[in-house]
Amino acid sequence: MSSEIAGDTLRDELSRPAGQQKAPHGKKRKGVTERDRPLWLLAPGGILITVIILIPLVLAVYMSVIDLDQYTLRKWLATPFIGIENFVEAITKTDLLRSIWISVSFAVISTVVTVPLGVAAAVVTQNPYRGRAVVRAVFLIPYVLPSFVVATVWRTMLQPDGIVNGVLHNVGIDPGLWLNGPLSYWTLVFVEIWAAWPFVYLLALAGLQSVDHEVHEAAAIDGALWWRKLREVIFPYLKGPVSLAFLLGTLNHINNFTLPFVLFGAPAPADVNVLPILVYVTSFQSFRFGLSAAMAVVSLILIAIPLFIYLRAVKLDVSDDGGKK
Amino acid sequence: MEITRRNFIAGVGGVGALSLALAACGGSPKSSGSGTGKVDGTGKTLTVLVSTKPQYPDEQKAWFAQTAADFKTLTGAGIQWETYPTANDEMTRIQTSVVSGTGPDVYGLGTTFTPTAYSTGAFVKLGDAEWNQVGGKDKFVPATLGISGPDANNQIGIPFVSRPFVMAYNTELLKAAGIEKPATTWDEFADHGKKMTKAGQYGLAIAYKDNFDPWKFIWGMSIQGGNPIIDGKKVRIDDPTVLAAYEAYFGWMTKDKSVDPAAVGWGNAQALAAFAAGKAGYFPMTSPLSIPTLDKSAVKGKYKYALLPMVPPGQTARPSGGVAAASILSGDNLVVADYSPNKDLAFAFIKMITDTAAQANYYKIFGEIPTNVEAAKALQSDPLVAPALDAASKSVATPFSGAWGDVQLALTNVAVQTIPDLSSGSVSEASLAGRLKDAQSKAQAALDRAK
Amino acid sequence: MSTLTRPRTPAGRTTNKAARNGRSAQVTRLMPTWLIAVLTTLLCILVLVPIAYIFLASLNTDTGVASGEFWPSQFSLDSYSKIWGSVGLGKGIINSLVVAGSVAVVSAVIAVGTAYVLVRFTFVGRLTVLRGLLGLQSIPGTLMLLPVFVLFASIGAWLGITIIGTLWGLFIAYLTFALPFSTWVMVTYLRGLPRELEEAARIDGASNLGILFRIIVPLSWPGIVVSGIFAFLLGWNDVLFASIFTKPDTATAAIVLQVFSASQEGGAIPVYSQMMAAALVCAAPVVILYFIFQRYLVGGLTAGGVK
Repeated sequence: MSSEIAGDTLRDELSRPAGQQKAPHGKKRKGVTERDRPLWLLAPGGILITVIILIPLVLAVYMSVIDLDQYTLRKWLATPFIGIENFVEAITKTDLLRSIWISVSFAVISTVVTVPLGVAAAVVTQNPYRGRAVVRAVFLIPYVLPSFVVATVWRTMLQPDGIVNGVLHNVGIDPGLWLNGPLSYWTLVFVEIWAAWPFVYLLALAGLQSVDHEVHEAAAIDGALWWRKLREVIFPYLKGPVSLAFLLGTLNHINNFTLPFVLFGAPAPADVNVLPILVYVTSFQSFRFGLSAAMAVVSLILIAIPLFIYLRAVKLDVSDDGGKK
Repeated sequence: MEITRRNFIAGVGGVGALSLALAACGGSPKSSGSGTGKVDGTGKTLTVLVSTKPQYPDEQKAWFAQTAADFKTLTGAGIQWETYPTANDEMTRIQTSVVSGTGPDVYGLGTTFTPTAYSTGAFVKLGDAEWNQVGGKDKFVPATLGISGPDANNQIGIPFVSRPFVMAYNTELLKAAGIEKPATTWDEFADHGKKMTKAGQYGLAIAYKDNFDPWKFIWGMSIQGGNPIIDGKKVRIDDPTVLAAYEAYFGWMTKDKSVDPAAVGWGNAQALAAFAAGKAGYFPMTSPLSIPTLDKSAVKGKYKYALLPMVPPGQTARPSGGVAAASILSGDNLVVADYSPNKDLAFAFIKMITDTAAQANYYKIFGEIPTNVEAAKALQSDPLVAPALDAASKSVATPFSGAWGDVQLALTNVAVQTIPDLSSGSVSEASLAGRLKDAQSKAQAALDRAK
Repeated sequence: MSTLTRPRTPAGRTTNKAARNGRSAQVTRLMPTWLIAVLTTLLCILVLVPIAYIFLASLNTDTGVASGEFWPSQFSLDSYSKIWGSVGLGKGIINSLVVAGSVAVVSAVIAVGTAYVLVRFTFVGRLTVLRGLLGLQSIPGTLMLLPVFVLFASIGAWLGITIIGTLWGLFIAYLTFALPFSTWVMVTYLRGLPRELEEAARIDGASNLGILFRIIVPLSWPGIVVSGIFAFLLGWNDVLFASIFTKPDTATAAIVLQVFSASQEGGAIPVYSQMMAAALVCAAPVVILYFIFQRYLVGGLTAGGVK
């Protein structure tokens, strides 16, 4: 799916190098956007993405239609073409659909919690006070620690005889197992939230900076209550960054491999058999590379559909205030 | 012995250099058996990928430098060392190298991964000429060659170190419970576990959550009962021996209560920590590599190693057809990549590091048990390590099949998915049977694909 | 974007320069002080409890960490000296800073240019590019690992150069992976900027590049810094690609750190306390860098760019 789209990208750029020829059927807007469009500025990114992402992606898709495993790996160019067999097997004989469901639901829940956390963190560090720089730096720490350190730390703390159960036991709660069984899903959600909320915080922080000083003044004169001011005056400025954070945060959660892998190990308990672990186990413990590529492609397509529905719904892609002004 | 090693670590630069120099002499062209003459590698570089040793960073660095210097003297070629931290990285490296036909010349592989490596066909098969180049098959402990290939004529792996699994036991706790010698049957093992369990201490330290331990117990008990799990073209996970093995393994916690309930969350490191704290009598599935941890702990001087029991659960003697397997055949094999332009150099290197003096030296530095006959023999006088040597000679290779990885995965998965039941205190036979059925069908499907 | 213009327009009209002097701090205040204090405290606790655990574990013994101790039974600073040993942590941190730092700078530069075109100009396929960039974000890294390796190996063999194992290879890979996201951060940021200044400059005869460098870039520092931070952290935290694209002397900090968590089957306890110490040491340069750069996170607009 994305390869087709990206194919268009490529064509657009290549057909108009250095912006000399204008597209004959370009949409008519104000004169200024028609004149001297510096489309060549798209070239560096376009070339890099084509070579380093799109070509390998085509290779990956090719892998998904051949019978690539440990026996054929060495001569992979001569590996027999088996069409959609890998896809059929992935959907009918493996836990793929269940894993996609676990991954997507876990990712959405994590995002729904991280967004308000991140926005709140950006708002409370917006006004200067003594020590704000330190607080801002502290907020970044979870995002700076490598995933496997975060996962090791939480795994140790959540051991049956670890500190978390010790504290809970003292207040009379015995929650049981965190790292296997039904609770493990919520463990994954919680640790992911802990590690990922600074991502939203950073994006929201940048968004807050584009709020015009005059807007604050106006709201102050209107005598608006702080929460009305936040909701009606400030949050509209965050709509773009937060919509983006929602989307990319969710995708990042879905693709996070290290965290569940270190927390739960592989093979993973059934409740947290997320997509990246399934793909990993299929690739590197069963050595079914073709099958795992097919799994990844299926999930890519299944995830791309809601992604584009979301894009349309929030109008993240089409909005351009510049054109309207 | 232990003191010797300590001294050795301290003096790695000095004594180590000397003994490696000896190793280099041993590997020189005048040594018999080789017949290939001196390999001239002037100006070339051999790339070698081995596992990293985080417990011994300085020692490993010194060993790299010394070995590279010796190799330079011997062949004129340099060595580029590469390391991988975990088995996952190792597999990723092999996969990418095999696909692209570039990468290290020599790989140090875990033994159970050798069948998979063999099935890729990307590593050099060892004929007589190659075996001669590394100094002949005779210089290796015979049992260690058991997982070099599917049969004696199709081998790719040259044994480098042996890492047999044994059990550690706390001499004081055994004595206090009136146990004279460590268990030799699994029933006795369970019984001793119950005897040693009392307030603040448990009989057994078992790493139920570990991603590698569980299948070793199950395979070991099954083969002792006569079931090698992969039997020709058939997977036998649905065999009664396997069910009995899982029931015994889980029973230590659910029925006997001789394992800390927290062990449902333990990996091997946590179980070792519990044993090191003196809170457990037996710690099965460990190796002499745990010596550095134990010697720094509360049980220093109060622990010994013994063979794992070799009579399957529910029996007093091994049934006919049962195999006296003390451990899976475990350790590291060296393999040479088929794409390597430096094969002669690679074999000269392997010869050098598998010679007696080099192997003895490697043991002294890292505690890894030699695969070289002479070097292994010299260790038998050390009472602490002797059981491990015994286990090495009584190790049995896991089936040499490209599908072994999937069998291992299926066996481990049964344990992983049973953890919640285990934690709640009972594992029902029905749910266990269901998981075994699932494991059987997945493993059988993998075996059916095997070529 | 109507939602964006809505607050600005009425606000701008009714201001009348009537803001009272000395109230500016209160004017921009977004929340009551007590709420700021409560939220800040809660968030800090959320972050710092596990950090405290990491710190205490770095002072503990490996056995103590493995057995789940929170408060060490014996304290020791040994780990902090041991980590510098032969594992090459210092070299790893430098490699990471070089690679991630260059990725941050170059990706921000490319992203500003790309986003400028995407936001301010119309052309066929513009929407496709924007959506495609987001689509790229959903590709799992595990799917790309093998093909990218094959590609690098082939290009290297074809051109007769070494790519795999060099910092250049890693740089190019991370740069490309960072681009879609950096571009989108800049796109959302640039959309928030008013057009008046650009149009005024254009009437004065400024070229596209002139507008980009004199108007857009100075106004966009918060966006540029944030997109740079993300690109930096992408390179800093990656283990998957670095594990096969580096050699011992080009290993990044994350790879070196991983060595500390390594364990062998049936072996000794992993060196947990060194791993925790190393994790804190590795986090330090990033936090310090952020500390330095965060003054650019004060908005270009609120700083008085547009008046």
